[in-house]
Amino acid sequence: MSLLKGLKARARSIRSSSAADARMEEEFLFHVDMETERLVAEGLPPDEARRRALVSFGGMDRHREEMRDGRGRRWLDDFVADFRYALRTTRRSPGFAIAVALTLGVGIGVNGVIFGYVNTMLFRPVPGRETSRLVALFTVDNRSGAAHDLGYDEYRDFRDRSGAFESLAGMTGIPLNLVADGNNGAADMVWGEMVTENFFSVIGMRPALGRFFTAADAPQGANAFAVLSYLSWRRRFHGDSSVIGRVVRINGAEFTITGVAAPGFRGMRTFGFWPELWVPAGMYSVVMPGSTNQLQGRGGGWVMAFGRMHPGWTIDRTQRAASLFAKQLATAYPSSNASLGAVTLLPAGTGFDHPSFVKSSVLALASAMGLFASIVILLIICANLANLQLARAAARGREIAIRLALGSSRTRLMRLMLVESFVLTLPGIAVAALFMPLGARSEQYLAPHLQFQVGLDVRSDARVVAFTAGVALLAGVLFSLAPALRASRFDISAMLASVVGDRRRTTKTRIRVRDALVVSQIAMSVILLVAGTLFVRSLWIARQADLGFDASNRLSVSVNVGLQGYDEARGRRFYDDVIARARTIPGVASASWAFPVPFDTYDRRMAFYVEGLRTNKETPTVAVDISVVGEDFVPALGLRLSDGRQFARADSGGTPEVMVVSQSLAARFWPGVNPIGRHVRRGSPSGPEVTVIGVVADAKFATLGDLTERRAYLPLRQRYRDWQTLVVHTRGEPMAMLRDIKRVVATVDPTLPTFGATTMTEAVASGLSTSRTAAMVAGFFGSLALLIAAVGLYAVVASGVVERTREIGIRLALGSTPTGVLRFVMRGGGRLGAWGLGIGLVAAFGVSVGLSGLLLGLSSRDPLTFAVVPLVLALVVLIATYLPARRAVKLDPVAALRRE
Amino acid sequence: MPTRHPQEPDALRGSIDLLILKALALQPMHGWGIGLRIEQISRGRLDVNQGSLYPALQRLEHRGWIESEWQNTENNRRARYYTLTRDGRKALGEEVSKWKRFAETMALVLDS
Repeated sequence: MSLLKGLKARARSIRSSSAADARMEEEFLFHVDMETERLVAEGLPPDEARRRALVSFGGMDRHREEMRDGRGRRWLDDFVADFRYALRTTRRSPGFAIAVALTLGVGIGVNGVIFGYVNTMLFRPVPGRETSRLVALFTVDNRSGAAHDLGYDEYRDFRDRSGAFESLAGMTGIPLNLVADGNNGAADMVWGEMVTENFFSVIGMRPALGRFFTAADAPQGANAFAVLSYLSWRRRFHGDSSVIGRVVRINGAEFTITGVAAPGFRGMRTFGFWPELWVPAGMYSVVMPGSTNQLQGRGGGWVMAFGRMHPGWTIDRTQRAASLFAKQLATAYPSSNASLGAVTLLPAGTGFDHPSFVKSSVLALASAMGLFASIVILLIICANLANLQLARAAARGREIAIRLALGSSRTRLMRLMLVESFVLTLPGIAVAALFMPLGARSEQYLAPHLQFQVGLDVRSDARVVAFTAGVALLAGVLFSLAPALRASRFDISAMLASVVGDRRRTTKTRIRVRDALVVSQIAMSVILLVAGTLFVRSLWIARQADLGFDASNRLSVSVNVGLQGYDEARGRRFYDDVIARARTIPGVASASWAFPVPFDTYDRRMAFYVEGLRTNKETPTVAVDISVVGEDFVPALGLRLSDGRQFARADSGGTPEVMVVSQSLAARFWPGVNPIGRHVRRGSPSGPEVTVIGVVADAKFATLGDLTERRAYLPLRQRYRDWQTLVVHTRGEPMAMLRDIKRVVATVDPTLPTFGATTMTEAVASGLSTSRTAAMVAGFFGSLALLIAAVGLYAVVASGVVERTREIGIRLALGSTPTGVLRFVMRGGGRLGAWGLGIGLVAAFGVSVGLSGLLLGLSSRDPLTFAVVPLVLALVVLIATYLPARRAVKLDPVAALRRE
Repeated sequence: MPTRHPQEPDALRGSIDLLILKALALQPMHGWGIGLRIEQISRGRLDVNQGSLYPALQRLEHRGWIESEWQNTENNRRARYYTLTRDGRKALGEEVSKWKRFAETMALVLDS
């Protein structure tokens, strides 16, 4: 209570300086009056009494000044003085200051960058209204537990009849063929989204320009309107505001642009292609050419739904209401919905994804781990810097003792230490600020390059800046605290005694703490280094791994003729025409259509029934990855035919269905039997027969983790597909041929857009991007930790040398050789290094077992890794101890002894 | 550490604080009264520079050991009266015993 009163009094006097002045004057005047009266009462004449009263009061101005100082001006003056002094001290040891700025800057900056990612994944809301009320809705299959998108009829029922949501919208991603500038412009393949008309109003977004869809747009097929993404508007229309009302061609049909979405909006999906434009679902017949009525369907469908919860409803309450309704649907529509009597809701406020694609808990876990690692790094850095400051403070022991003896108050001394650390922190924050843009920059390297743009769009918004500032503040305080606290309980007598006597007794415990800290730092960097090396090794091995196909000199480029309005006959003519022309180009060894091709991230599956093959009771068929391919697919994709033949022109419509299987699929379907001539049934036990005519070596299509790749290849001539990738085996550098290949396509159809042009080598590299990212991040953290640990070890050994100067001097004076001293000093540091290495290796062994699932084709006990890391570490320890030890050797014994 | 304001030695500053606290222990008092009482208690042996009481009073008030309010004197004049707070009373006890220990030690050293 009294403390509070004191603070209030202080606040009052600082806040209103004139009122405090007035009070002071009145008190002074009262005092002098009273003293005068007393003296008059003692018999002095009034004039004399007043004069004496003023004299005994003392210099009134001096008292006024002192009181004003006491009210806070003094504090400011002192602070400025401390600041100047700290700047001078810092300038005296620029090496130390630079080391602090760099390590602290890196530590803070890494935190900022990592949080930039976390922010985009977990915290940055889509630009809408009250986005915390947005939830994604999936039905759940109660047999498999799998989450499903909704069919349009289900969506409509949930929207209109469930009462669980205030409003509900749906969307799906689709490739679109876009001609943006007039009729003669070139067409582009872009990623778009087909959405329900209420899509933007459910999000509660304000358009950057124009308007969004309204319910009036709903009449089916008559609402040819499109909304552009902000990015697309800037890129394709240079931010021209007259874009509203302009007509673009989507899949050959005219659409009017009604609006531009809010900046930063890249769709509701966290991990997905960034849509360039949105079109209403009523236009499905244009944007999904050849499709049947998309505004119906139950038991799952295209609608990825998300809704706005009622005001005040929790996600649990909404979930209960939606589940109840799902049960009703299951009863009402048993043929389609019997097993879909449950739902799962996901918070959609920052974007969401299909649960089978990315689990939100995984995101949270990854974020937590990233932040944990970066915070630990920062803590180690702070501890290290505090150590260095302590060591410096020890060296300045005499200065501090003298200050205290001269009457400097402890709080004053503590403040000086704080200000000094603060001054050292500032450049660190500046370095960290330079780091911040790296977050966005790093994403360009870490995000895979696919046919359409993907990424998290990491940016430094106010939240990232605030977080980083908070981290910087925390770092500053942590790093200043130890020396400041130490200054506050500085023992003058012990300090002065140490000037003449032995200092080891007083500093023993502190040294032990420091040793433990260094050992744990080294251990931690061993763990991070082992993890990093394992990832790098695994990536390296994956690069060398046999992909099952030859990726070199292969160029691929995709088309979607369906979006161009082709029917099957025209599509077939187009495919044949392009292949025939491509083969005539000199430099083309072979060419074929195929989809999906290795590492293009798409997958297509087909159900097969195999006689005699045991499956689970529910389904007699097995789902298998398929690729639909042209005749020359084996040489074009660089596959190896191990048995039978590839497809011929004759394997076309009207002839018996055939397929080529991979070796592991053959082994699964017909173990130990020659698969050639065997057959499966397509779709069901009574489906059409498909005969195996060839076997190819297993090829890795999606990720390199798939060690067995079961795949069936079906001929394009028997299974028409309107989305295909042209794969060309070139005799020279593949990218150099791209222009020729595009010219071939353009000769056949000048308005057809091609997209996703890449070389197979690039596609493989992109498929490895997750492993590459892990290797880069782990490697970065490992090297950083090692660097910091080295600095910490250096500091401990160096301050040990300073503290034991006397002892070393005696040793030298008694005839110890320089080598002997060197060995003596380095033994201490080496012991710490050995301890850290030992503990770290044991821990790393445990950690690496946990990583084994992420390591492709590499044992988590990789002997090379566990041999290289200790070697590197030993080398670093050697350097970190040798440098200060060399200084000890150079000591002049006489000076060393005289010093103390 | 350059200081533009020469500081009073800790001992002297501490003793003025202690004297004020002691003077206020009996009853609330205005600044002039405190000075008078210190002089009386010390039987005129401590001649405190009267003006320097006020910075000390302000310091003690900021520390929360005393508080102050305007009151009228017997002669019906407005004066600022200072009162000891609970913290102040506690601090007085601690300061007194600390001072006594210090004085004993000094006596011990000087008498030896």
